Amino acid sequence: MMKMKKLMSGVLAATMVLSVALTGCGNEKSSAKQNKAEGKVFHIMAWNEEFKGFFESYFAKKHSNGDYYVGDAKVVWTIVPNENGAYQDALDRALLNQENAKDDDKVDMFLAEADYIAKYVKSDATMDISKIGVTDFSNTYKYTVEAATDDNGVVKGTSFQCCPAGVIYRRSIAKDVLGTDDPEEVQSKIDSWDKFNSVAKECKDKGYYMTASDGETYRTFSNNKEAAWVDKDNNLVIDPAVQKWMDQADMFAKNEYTILNDVWGEEKQQQMLDSGKTMCFFGPAWYYNFCMGNAMDTCKGDWGLCPGPQSYFWGGTWLLAATGTDNEKAVAKTMNAFINDEKICSNMVEKNQQFVNNQKINEKFAADPDYGNEFLGGQNDTALFVELAKDIKFQNTSKYDQLCNEGIQQYYREYLKGKVTKEQALENFRKFIKEKYPNVNVDK
Amino acid sequence: MDKKNKRASMQLAAVRALVYTIIIFLCFLCLFFFVMLFVNASRTNNQLQRGFTLIPGGHFFYNMKNAFTDSSIQIPQGMINSFIVAAGAAVFTTYFSALTAYGIYVYDFKLKKLAYTFIIAVMMIPSQVSAVGFVQLAYKYGLNNKLWLLIVPSIAAPAVFFYMYQYLKATLPLDIVEASRIDGSSEFATFNRIVLPIMKPAMAVQMIFSFVAAWNNYFLPALLLTRPEKKTVPIMIAQLRSADYSKFDMGKVYMFILLAILPVIVVYVFLSKSIIKGVTSGSVKG
Amino acid sequence: MKNNKPKGKSVSYAKWGYIFIIPFFLVYFVFTFYPQILTIYNSFFENYRDGLTQIGPKFVGLDNYKALLTPSDQGTIDIVKYFGNTIIMWIMGAVPQFVFALLLAVFFTNTRLNIKGQRIMKTVIYMPNLIMASAFSMLFYTLFSNVGPIKPLLVHMGILDKTFDFFFVTISVRGLVALLNFLMWFGNTTILLMAGIQSIDESLFESARIDGASSTRVFFNITMPLLKPIFVYTFITSMIGGLQMFDVPSVLTNAKGTPDRTVMTVIMYLNNYLGGSNNYGMAGAISVILFIVTAILSVIVFKTIDRDKD
Repeated sequence: MMKMKKLMSGVLAATMVLSVALTGCGNEKSSAKQNKAEGKVFHIMAWNEEFKGFFESYFAKKHSNGDYYVGDAKVVWTIVPNENGAYQDALDRALLNQENAKDDDKVDMFLAEADYIAKYVKSDATMDISKIGVTDFSNTYKYTVEAATDDNGVVKGTSFQCCPAGVIYRRSIAKDVLGTDDPEEVQSKIDSWDKFNSVAKECKDKGYYMTASDGETYRTFSNNKEAAWVDKDNNLVIDPAVQKWMDQADMFAKNEYTILNDVWGEEKQQQMLDSGKTMCFFGPAWYYNFCMGNAMDTCKGDWGLCPGPQSYFWGGTWLLAATGTDNEKAVAKTMNAFINDEKICSNMVEKNQQFVNNQKINEKFAADPDYGNEFLGGQNDTALFVELAKDIKFQNTSKYDQLCNEGIQQYYREYLKGKVTKEQALENFRKFIKEKYPNVNVDK
Repeated sequence: MDKKNKRASMQLAAVRALVYTIIIFLCFLCLFFFVMLFVNASRTNNQLQRGFTLIPGGHFFYNMKNAFTDSSIQIPQGMINSFIVAAGAAVFTTYFSALTAYGIYVYDFKLKKLAYTFIIAVMMIPSQVSAVGFVQLAYKYGLNNKLWLLIVPSIAAPAVFFYMYQYLKATLPLDIVEASRIDGSSEFATFNRIVLPIMKPAMAVQMIFSFVAAWNNYFLPALLLTRPEKKTVPIMIAQLRSADYSKFDMGKVYMFILLAILPVIVVYVFLSKSIIKGVTSGSVKG
Repeated sequence: MKNNKPKGKSVSYAKWGYIFIIPFFLVYFVFTFYPQILTIYNSFFENYRDGLTQIGPKFVGLDNYKALLTPSDQGTIDIVKYFGNTIIMWIMGAVPQFVFALLLAVFFTNTRLNIKGQRIMKTVIYMPNLIMASAFSMLFYTLFSNVGPIKPLLVHMGILDKTFDFFFVTISVRGLVALLNFLMWFGNTTILLMAGIQSIDESLFESARIDGASSTRVFFNITMPLLKPIFVYTFITSMIGGLQMFDVPSVLTNAKGTPDRTVMTVIMYLNNYLGGSNNYGMAGAISVILFIVTAILSVIVFKTIDRDKD
C-alpha cells in the first residue's frame, strides 16, 4: 500500500505540476520578498456584502474601469456564502495557506462576527494592528477593542459598528396592554425579568404574544454569562444564565406567551407585519434597520425602543488584519477610516441608520433634537444606544460560541415542542458539540 | 367474435383511462412546483413574506431586472461558466464511460475481471469524502479557480460506466463487432462508427443526467471557485440567499433559480429527441 | 450467446482492451483514487483542527472506529441509528419511485396503449430533477411550514391539531424527505428504464402479441428479464445514492436531523465532523464504514436479482 501511495502521489504531483506549468502561473518565490512594497491587490474576505457596500460608497475610489482602488491597490473581494460554516472553512484554508499563496492571492484583511472572532484573534493568523499604524481608539467603544484583543493584550482588528441592543416593542400593542407607548414608561414596566414575565401574562390575556420566538431573549441571557461556553479545561459549561433562559423559555412555551420557532424563523417574520400580534422583539440597531423589513413596509412608526430587562449586545462585524498581508497601508487606512473618519461615520448614521463605532459622531446625533428614526415614530434611538453602549462588556467568550449558541437553541426547541425530554434535548446538544469540536469534553 | 373484440377494446379504453389518470396526476405534482416557482419569481420579497399563494404577484420583470442588474453577481458570466463545466463534463463522462465499458465488455484480457470489479467497488465509496481530499490537493497545487479541474475528473465516472456496461450487455451482439472486423474496420472506428450509434439512447440519457448533475453541483465548485468571474450559478444563488439583510430579496432568489433551470430544459428537450429516435433499429440482433 | 467466437482470435485484440480503459483509470487514479486512499489512511489518525490549530495527524489505530461503534449509556450506537434513518427514508422513497417508474416506462413504450403527448409528459416528469435539491427542499419547506398553506388547510379540515408541526414529528419529516426524493427521482428512473425497454428487440413483442400473450405475461416474461441489467443499474445506483442522502434532510431540518436526530443521515453525521473542525479522522472512519455497508448491501442485491441464468 505504501508503495502504491508513493507511486500515486508521484503521478499526481507530476500531473498537477505539469498543468501548472502549462497554464503558465507557476511562481512561488515571491514570499521571500522583504522590501515591503505595497501589493497591487487589496484582497478582502467576507461572507456577504454589507461592509462592501459601505466600503465602496464612502471609502474606496472607483476608477473608470469600474474597479475600486485603495491607494494604488485594486480591491478584490472573496465572498463565500456562510452556508454550513462554509465561510470559516474557506477563510481557514486561505489563512493557513497564506505563506504559500501568491502575493495577489494573499488575504490582506477579513471580516469576522462576534460569535467566532475569538478564534481568529487568539491565533497567529491575525496581526498586531498597532504595528501598521492603527493606534487611535479614543473614539471607539471599549468592548469593540476588547473583542479584538488577544490574551497578551495585542489588538488585532477594529469594528465599524457598535451593537448595543434593547427591546423593540409595538406601540399599538403596548398601549393596549400597558396603557402607554412612551419608551420610558414602557421601560419601567419591563425593567426586570420578573416584571417582563408578568407583562407576558397580561399580553397573553389580551390575546397577544410577548415574543415571537423562544430564542428571542436568548442573547440577553447568554450575554450576561458568568463563564464561557467552554472552560479552561475544555469542558462544556451550561452557564446559570443559559439555564435561566431555558427556564424562561419553558415557562413561556407552556403558557403560550411565545411562538415556538427560530429567531430567524418565518413565523416570527410574519409577526412583524401589520397583522402581527407580538409585542416585543429583541435586537440592536442593525436588527430593526435590516431584519424587520416586513415592519418597515407595513407598519412603520408603530414601534418604540427601550432598554429592556437586562443590558446586552448582539452581533457586530470586525475587520481583522491577516498575518502576511502585503497591503499594510491599505488595511490600516481602511480600519482608521471606519473608526475615525467623521465624514464616513456620519454618512453611515444618516444614510444607513448604523450605530457606528465612533462615540463623538453618535453623541452628536444623540444630541440633535431634529434627529429621529421614522421607523420608531421619530424616537431618537441613537440617544438611547449611546447610554446602552456604556454597559457593554465583551467577556466570557470562547472560540466555540457560534455553534454552542446556535445548537442549544435548536435542540432545546425539540423539548419545548414536547418531542423529547429536557435531558434528551441536552444530550443531543452535547452530541452535536462533540461532533463539531472533538476536543471539547461534553460529559457531565 | 365481435363481442370479444368489443370487450377487449372496452377493456383497453378502461386501462387507458386509468393510465392517463396516473400520468396526469404525477405530471400535476411535478408541474405544481414549477408553477410555484414562477409565481414566487413574480412576487416581491415583501409579498413573499406574507405567505403562500398561487396568484402571481405581477413583479416578474421587476425581479428579472433586479437579477440582471445585481452589481456583484453576473448571471451571464455564471451561466457561461456553468455551461462550460456542465457541457464539458457531460461529453467527457458519456464518451469515456462508453469507451471504457466497451473495452471491458468486448475484449478479453487478463485484468478484465479485476478492472470491472474495481470500478463497481469504487462506485460505492461516498463521493463527498474523496471531494474533501480533492479540494486539499487542488489548493496545494494552486488549481482552485480552474474550471477544467471540474471537467477532467468526469472522464472517470464509475456509475455512468456501470450503466453503459449494463446497456451493452443488454443490446450489443458481439457478432456486429466481428462483422465489422471482417470488413477491415479498425477497433476505434468500430467503436465510433458502429457501437456509438447503437448506444445513442444510453448516451443521450447519461448526457442529460450528467449535464444536469454538473449544472446543479454546488458542493465541490463552492469549495474551489472563489473568484467572482469563475463562479457558477448555484454558488451565485447561495450568495444571494446569504446576502445581508438590507439586500436580501427572496423574489430575486426565486428568479435566479428559475433562470438557472431554463438552459437545462433546453438541453433536455434537445437531447430527449434522440432518446426517442435512437432506438437501435437496423442493427443485427443476436 | 455471449462468447462463441474462437479463443485464439480474441486474444490478439487484448491490447485494445487496455487501450480503451486507460483514460478512465488514469484519470480515476489521479483525481479520485488518491484522495480516497487519503481518506482511508486518515481514518487511522487523530487529525482535526481546533480553531486554527492543527491537532495531529497522530496514529491512533482503530480508535476512531471504536469511538463510533461503542454503545452509549443507553446501549444504543449512534451510527447504527443514523444508518437506520437513512435506509428507512431511502426505502420510503424508493418503493413508489420504482413502482411508478416501471409502470410509466411500460405505459410509454406500449404501442397498444399508444399514449398521446408523450414528449411533454416525459419532459414534465423529469423536470423536478432539474431543480437543485436545496432549492426544491426550500420550496417544500415553504409549503409545509407553519406559515405555509398546507397546515392551516388540514387544521381547518380537522385532520391536524393546531400544535402539529410537520417538521417536528419523525414520521412526517421522514415522509416529506421520502416524498421529495420520490418526486425528484421517479422521472429520472422512468427515462432510464424506458431507454432499456426501447433497446429490446421490437420483434419479440410482436411475436408475443401474435401468440396472444397478455400484457402482464409480456411484462414478466419478456420485458423484465431483458430489462434486468438496466433495472439492476437503476436499483443499485438509487441505493448508493440513497445511502449518501444529504441535501434534502439537511435543508429541511437545518442540518440538525430534527426531531431527536431521527432524520439524521450518515452523511449529515459525517458532515458534522467535517464542518467545524475538519475532522478527517472521524469523517474518514465514517466513510469507510459507509463504504463497507454499501458494498455488503450491493453484493446482496447483485446476488439476489442479477444472477445470470444462462
